[in-house]
Amino acid sequence: MEKPVDHATESSETIPHKSNDLENTNHPDESEHQSQNNNPTETATTPESESSQLSLPQVMEAVDDFIQSLSSSTDPLQEIPPAVEPFPETVDSLVSKMESSGLGRDESEDSAFIDAVNRISISVIRLRELNLDSTPVSSWLNRASSVQHRAVSLLDEEFRHLLDRSNKKKNGDEHNNHDESDNNNPPQEEKTFPDIPPESIPTLKKIAGAMISAGYETECCMSYETSRRHAFKEELSEIGFEGINVDDVQRIPWESLQGEIASWISIVRRCSSVLFPGELSLCRTVFPEQDHASLRKGLFTGLVSAVTIRFLDFSGAVVLTKRSSEKLFKFLDMYETLRELIPAVEESDSDLIQEIKLSQTRLGEAAVTIFGELENSIKTDIGRTPVPSGAVHPLTRYTMNYLKYACEYKDTLNQVFQHYEKAETDETEPEPERHQREDDEEYKTSAFARQMIRVMELLDANLEVKSGLYRDPSLRSIFLMNNGRYILQKIKGSIEIRDLMGQAWTRKRSTELRQYHKSYQRETWGKVLQCMNQEGLQVNGKISKTALKERFKIFNNMFDEIHKTQSTWIVNDEQMQSELRVSIAALVIPAYRSFFGRYKQHIDSGRHTDKYVKYQPEDIESVIDDLFDGNPASMGRKRT
Amino acid sequence: MPATDFQGTFGRSFLSFRRDQVDSNTPAAGSSGHSMEAELDSFQRQVAEKFTDLNASGDGDGELLSLEWIGKLLDSFLCCQEEFRAIVFNHRSQISTSPMNRLISDYFERSIKALDVCNAIRDGIEQIRQWQKLSDIVISALDSRRTVGEGQLRRAKKALVDLAIGMLDEKETSLAHRNRSFGRVKDSHSHHRSMGHFRSLSWSVSRSWSASKQLQALASNLNTPRQNDVVASNGLAFPVYTMASVLLFVMWVLVAAFPCQDRGLQVNFFVPRQFQWAAPVMSLHDKIVEESKRRDRKNCCGLLKEIGRIEKSSRVMNELIDSIHFPMSEEKEIEVKQRVEELVEVHEALKNGLDPFERKVREVFHRIVRSRTENLDSLC
Repeated sequence: MEKPVDHATESSETIPHKSNDLENTNHPDESEHQSQNNNPTETATTPESESSQLSLPQVMEAVDDFIQSLSSSTDPLQEIPPAVEPFPETVDSLVSKMESSGLGRDESEDSAFIDAVNRISISVIRLRELNLDSTPVSSWLNRASSVQHRAVSLLDEEFRHLLDRSNKKKNGDEHNNHDESDNNNPPQEEKTFPDIPPESIPTLKKIAGAMISAGYETECCMSYETSRRHAFKEELSEIGFEGINVDDVQRIPWESLQGEIASWISIVRRCSSVLFPGELSLCRTVFPEQDHASLRKGLFTGLVSAVTIRFLDFSGAVVLTKRSSEKLFKFLDMYETLRELIPAVEESDSDLIQEIKLSQTRLGEAAVTIFGELENSIKTDIGRTPVPSGAVHPLTRYTMNYLKYACEYKDTLNQVFQHYEKAETDETEPEPERHQREDDEEYKTSAFARQMIRVMELLDANLEVKSGLYRDPSLRSIFLMNNGRYILQKIKGSIEIRDLMGQAWTRKRSTELRQYHKSYQRETWGKVLQCMNQEGLQVNGKISKTALKERFKIFNNMFDEIHKTQSTWIVNDEQMQSELRVSIAALVIPAYRSFFGRYKQHIDSGRHTDKYVKYQPEDIESVIDDLFDGNPASMGRKRT
Repeated sequence: MPATDFQGTFGRSFLSFRRDQVDSNTPAAGSSGHSMEAELDSFQRQVAEKFTDLNASGDGDGELLSLEWIGKLLDSFLCCQEEFRAIVFNHRSQISTSPMNRLISDYFERSIKALDVCNAIRDGIEQIRQWQKLSDIVISALDSRRTVGEGQLRRAKKALVDLAIGMLDEKETSLAHRNRSFGRVKDSHSHHRSMGHFRSLSWSVSRSWSASKQLQALASNLNTPRQNDVVASNGLAFPVYTMASVLLFVMWVLVAAFPCQDRGLQVNFFVPRQFQWAAPVMSLHDKIVEESKRRDRKNCCGLLKEIGRIEKSSRVMNELIDSIHFPMSEEKEIEVKQRVEELVEVHEALKNGLDPFERKVREVFHRIVRSRTENLDSLC
């Protein structure tokens, strides 16, 4: 129970310089300029019963001497020096004063107070260590330690109060601009974090220092932690973070879960870029001493761990949901978000970083599985119905679009697959399936490139099989051309894929395309060209009209047939379509023109010329233009 | 030791699941029904051994529900889980067919519920850490190597009051604390470093989550396997049931021991005698239920032995301090010293044990997740 202390009369001066003597009649008009830095210009009367006349700085100086003497003296202390004797009560009255005015209003007032608290703390600590027997000493110690506790408790209160005071709270309403805002920062759209008024910071530092010197480190840390955790919780709920249970996540349909994931991503990112660095900075500011490095680390670790682990709970919950291909990219986004988080928590315990990496691993494993699904879906696409008209197969489109999108994540996927491969090689069984390709550099280095190539090769094999479903070898070639072209264009259209697959691979595909083209020409037009061959047309030096008629007839039939059939075929790529037509034209038209030119006249003389010569050379071109349109040809095309 | 990626006693990672074509069920592997029976039997025996051990060590002085004992329980769970995982792996071709697909999927759903319990326990552990800090204050304030002044007594007293408030059962501190906004209380003397505040900051589970409901969900429909399921699954239904029961028991113990949100222990837990491990598990269960009904532990916030010790030591210390008048008599000084030593003992046990224990809980979380993701990946 503390004795009620007479308070010094409330003066308008900012610095408490009066002692606890109510009657200050001795110094009515004397101007006393006081400052923290001791200015003992006043004559100190002899330190006897008149000790109440000492100013605070003088008392503090006496206390300093006292503390000094405690360390150096060899004789056990029996008495407290008179100048020091009333110090506890002096401080006590200061505490009462500060209690009503609060800290953080007047810097010099605060400093004076804290100086006093520091001194009483040190005195108490030293005296306690000495374990002295003397009664006057014990009695002084009791009073001093009581006051010390009271003072430090006040500091603790103020510490928490200042920490909890945010710009928003002071204004009461984050949207309104109150007039009596005693902080200099107007409410901003972009809130800073931590949201502590800058003018509070020096006071916080001082208080923290004083509490720790007083031996109240635990209390100080607890207050700091509680306040910061609360601030974090508020901040997180403000930016939309909700605790969802692992169990509940399993029940959320994917469409809604995607929204939660997007929200999670933006929140974690905000932590990485703003909240955690802000927290670290605050910690360093409030506890700047070198000696307090482990204290800082403990506080920072405690805070970011509590928050991070909650994030990891969510990602762990998400990874437990069923695998499906649409989830791949969201999982990768989460993986990347966690990767960005690691640097922000570097200053904390390594345990936390391990936890983050573990969560990443789970996401990575899921990504590997889902990507592997792509392979499965290719392998199981074994329908016996060929795509009509030899067009690009849906499987080709799906696969290539998937890969193209996947390549946007190629660095992350590479990381993921590297990890996967590493885990695999830890196994005793060797991996037999790896194909070695010496020509591509990136293949050698990129685990993901290897996966891509695997998929491509599977696709190729599948398309090969599908092409076999066409009985017509020409259609087979067209089919392969269509799909090959689609693949090639997709690759060329994306720098990432192109680099990943490598130049040689791309060139090879181009070569293959040309080969399909040549096959097609041979299959379809070989015989047509043959029938325009000069050989066999002359019998005994003369042109055989019969043979000629036959030739024209064959040509017409073939050409008609090709027209009818191949007009319904599709070549998806416009450029390739035109290239094909051009190449056919280049092949057929000159040959026909020459054949026509040379031999038509031999039939001309008879009737029914039309019966045999159906096509003028100009007509050939229009027929060719009908090809690969996907439309049934209008066979009734008249000659111009 | 940080949480590590446990490879398992069988040296295979899940990744090789996907490539292996052969499992123990196919004739090519050369295994017969006989070896499967042996495998399943061995599992039952292992579980029984573990729990018999736990039952025995629980009989020792204050061992049951101590941090160390619960740690052993978690270790046992992890072992059983590994065995189970191996069995599932060995017979994975069966897993995708009926009835195993249904049974396994049910098991995994339960295990996911257990994850939330692991997370909720984290908050309880964090609370205990706060109490530790408070008892740390008491210990250093009353350190007998230095003179104890009145201020030190006040400091200790303040911490003890905060501790007492903090250890109140959640229900007693009531909704007022939970929804309390953190405003400055101007009458600062009544403003304790309130654990009510700290509890309201717990956030590992959602506001509406209930430990008691979660346990009930874990226990619901936990029936001994039907005969036709047993036959159709070649006996694999038994290990699934076993694992689900063990899971329930372990989670129940955690909820019983640690402070957590809506902590209720009413759960229908019964295992028929036919199982080897039934006796030791039921015995433990009964002992713990008995413990929960004891007068002095009835309204505590958690049955963890160390919690009881802190509660007792701090209460005694509190009364002692109240009885002290300055100058302190030598008698009182000695008493203070003794009480502090008691407090130090509990404090030390917790200080050394709490962090590793938390890691173990985290390990349980990770293994459950991993076991589920393996299963998911193997289905692809």
